[in-house]
Amino acid sequence: MKKYYRHSAVIFSALFMSACTLLNAQEDEQEVLPLESKYKEPVTKTWFNTYGNIRISKRLFWVAQTHFRLEETEDTQYVGQIAQIYNRHAIGYIYSKKFNASLGGVLRLNFNTDEDSTDRNLVPEWRIWHQYQFAMPLSSVMVYHRLRIEHRWTQGFAENSDYIFRNRWRYMFRLKIPLNNHKLEPKTFYVSPEAELIMQSGKAVVASPMEDLRLTTTLGYIVTPRLTFAAGLMYSQGQSLDNGGVYKQNWTMRFHMYFSPDFRKVKNKLPEIHLND
Amino acid sequence: MQLIGQERQRFSGPLQVGIYGGNAVYDYKVIGKDTLLDGDFRMQQSDLKSLLESEDASFLFSGSFVDGFPTGPWNFQFGAFQSERRSQVIDYQYRVLVSGVQESGSGTVVKGKPNGSWTYAVNRIVDSEISEILFRSKFDFENGIPQRNFNIESEDRSLVGRFLRNGIAHDEWALYDDAALEATERWFFKEGVLQKILFSNNGQTKEFSINTGRNQLKTVNLDARYLKVVQLQATGDDAEAIAQSGVLHMLDKNAVYYQKIDSILSELGTSDFNPEFKVKLPYFPLDSLEKKQLSEIYLSYEKARTISAFFLNSSQLNILKLSDEESNYLFELVRAISSGFLDPIEEVLNYQKTSVLEYVPRSDLQNNLWPQGIPSKTIQAIITKDSIEQKRPFTLSNATDFDFEGPLFSSLMEIARYAAACLAEVEKQLNVKLVREKRQQALVALEEKLVLQEKGFGNLLDSLTSDTPADYRNTLQRLKQVADEKLGAYGVLKNPEQKLEQGQELTRCFENLLALGKAYSELPVRVEELRVHYEDGVWNPFMATVMKEAIKKRITNAYRKVLIPYFLEQVRDDFDCSQANMLLEEIQYTHERMFQLREEDTAKLERKLRREQDPKVVLELFHKPSKSKEN
Repeated sequence: MKKYYRHSAVIFSALFMSACTLLNAQEDEQEVLPLESKYKEPVTKTWFNTYGNIRISKRLFWVAQTHFRLEETEDTQYVGQIAQIYNRHAIGYIYSKKFNASLGGVLRLNFNTDEDSTDRNLVPEWRIWHQYQFAMPLSSVMVYHRLRIEHRWTQGFAENSDYIFRNRWRYMFRLKIPLNNHKLEPKTFYVSPEAELIMQSGKAVVASPMEDLRLTTTLGYIVTPRLTFAAGLMYSQGQSLDNGGVYKQNWTMRFHMYFSPDFRKVKNKLPEIHLND
Repeated sequence: MQLIGQERQRFSGPLQVGIYGGNAVYDYKVIGKDTLLDGDFRMQQSDLKSLLESEDASFLFSGSFVDGFPTGPWNFQFGAFQSERRSQVIDYQYRVLVSGVQESGSGTVVKGKPNGSWTYAVNRIVDSEISEILFRSKFDFENGIPQRNFNIESEDRSLVGRFLRNGIAHDEWALYDDAALEATERWFFKEGVLQKILFSNNGQTKEFSINTGRNQLKTVNLDARYLKVVQLQATGDDAEAIAQSGVLHMLDKNAVYYQKIDSILSELGTSDFNPEFKVKLPYFPLDSLEKKQLSEIYLSYEKARTISAFFLNSSQLNILKLSDEESNYLFELVRAISSGFLDPIEEVLNYQKTSVLEYVPRSDLQNNLWPQGIPSKTIQAIITKDSIEQKRPFTLSNATDFDFEGPLFSSLMEIARYAAACLAEVEKQLNVKLVREKRQQALVALEEKLVLQEKGFGNLLDSLTSDTPADYRNTLQRLKQVADEKLGAYGVLKNPEQKLEQGQELTRCFENLLALGKAYSELPVRVEELRVHYEDGVWNPFMATVMKEAIKKRITNAYRKVLIPYFLEQVRDDFDCSQANMLLEEIQYTHERMFQLREEDTAKLERKLRREQDPKVVLELFHKPSKSKEN
């Protein structure tokens, strides 16, 4: 670990310096790709994510997600310090049972996790995101494909950093397999393996289009049709922005709460949702 | 002239007269709204095609009317012919030869009544020629009244006779048989009064004289009733011979043909073509005492017949008599009374109904009714045992109160009363037997039913599946115990009447208990039905599936956790049948109510049900309309 920190300190100072140089003199100080890809030591993290889907009409719902992401410190694995707080909102549209789409914005608060940094402690990151989710039943299993596109504006922790703009291209494949039931319904445990590939593009992205590849398995429990809890472990890896030859790695514990209240009046809810079928 | 010319019209076209349909041409006039036939009339039907193909029924009526009355010469022809499909050409005509039967009646009519000479003939026709006379009658009428001589011939017999000017039979009416040399039957009338009948057969002559006496005479028609009266004055062979009288047979045959003509003429206008041949009968009117006696006879007879018919047709007695000797005896006694007393009395009552009675001398009637003499008061029931007939006498204890001697109707009245009294006595004895038997059978049937019902409780327990909750099983078990105890209490009873009464009550009770038991055994299924009924589909956006969610949990909980345990607890040791029905109704009501509540606005009810644990309060709330009245 220590080795990693040293390493990352070097990278960070290099990044900082390059930013300074970009600002000041447009100096051509390029990172050099290593001869072989290098894998950084994995960072351990913990995510507490809440996912709210609040039904506002027969076809529309309000997506309200708040994620708390913690990261290790030198002393404490997984939950050492707060790293990011996500506020993700969108309006979703239920086209059919098998397809829905959402469009909204994200305000992510990034905390400076570099214990040695003297820069700003907190910077905002802005995103516009839209996603397209396909769901299909396969026997007792549900299969999901999610395409999510994010337009993000980020900035570094250094004072007066400029925003850089990137696009993220995300595809996620996910299964939900009921364990103690023949279908997903209340009082059911399920296991959900998922894989998500996050690609990125933008001027700042030169040699590192693969931002992240996430492999997760969660175990969930459906309490009611409106409340589900899940927990799992994710391994991810991806190219560093500044050097495509260097791969970051993460081990993340994830704790999720999914809630979907429906405050509409009873008479609007009945009969049960049939959508198109 | 001009007036008549204007009134009279002619019709030509198809016409239906009774069963006859054909083409008619006739004159008529209209007076007011009535159409009166007036003038010539001709109606006929013949079908050459059908004749050539198989057979043709043809007819021809011709004559004339005056003011709606058939008047003048009339001719009626009815033919049923077949053709041999042979034709001849004679001069300029095709002739088809026919075979069959031709009837024709002709004569003169005045004002709808036959007048003058009337002939009715039925001939067999072969190849268009008369081959045989089947029937021929010839009468002379004057204004509908037969006069002078008449004769009626059939294939093998002929009858000749004569009437006085007033249509009354007179002198000798003789029936000749073609095969015999002399008349086989000769009726001698003297101004309508029959004196004697001579039957001759192969040279043997038998005379039946009639005691005319000096009684009052009454003119009647010579018909079946007359024959019955004559017959009643004879006995044995004579009565038999009169019943088969050829004279009357010939007259009957003739009457049928005249009736045919009458039916046609009556259809077209006003006619009275039923010539009546009159005779005179001695008349023995019923005096007021006799009339009273007859009505008494009728009353006693009706009473007696009702009893005897009931027992003779009683399937219960018919079965019981096979095993019970005494019942058999009583049954046979009823039969004996029925045939020995009631049947002859019935005959007398029939004579009264058909007005025969007043023309028969009482003594003749008595002889006819009781050829063996007046029946004895000691009635013999004939019992067959091991194919040996045994007689067992029966006499009413107060038989001496009945006087069978005396004048005919007085005697008949006593006999009828005696028969009714005897039958009443038999009825008394039989009813005791039948009621006892009936009760016995009822009790057996009842107890079989009780046992079967009792088994029903066990069946209900057996029908429960292994996953039926224990409290259901316990309740049904308790219900069975309650039934068993009640059955045990019934079993101790000794008095059969009490048994019957209590047993019937118990079956009704068991019916209620069983119905309740059935409701209990069905409850788990019903609760599950309701659970499904109270589910609603909820869209889970994270799973993208519709999930079932229980709704209105306060109501379903009140039902499942408060009411059902309450229902199950109600069956205790002292459980009464009257409670069963109420409880059953409550269970059924609640279940139905639960189905309704799912769709109703139950916010107020749900609020009130919150933490309510008292089943009586919950039931009360369920009985109230769910919709709050506040709005």
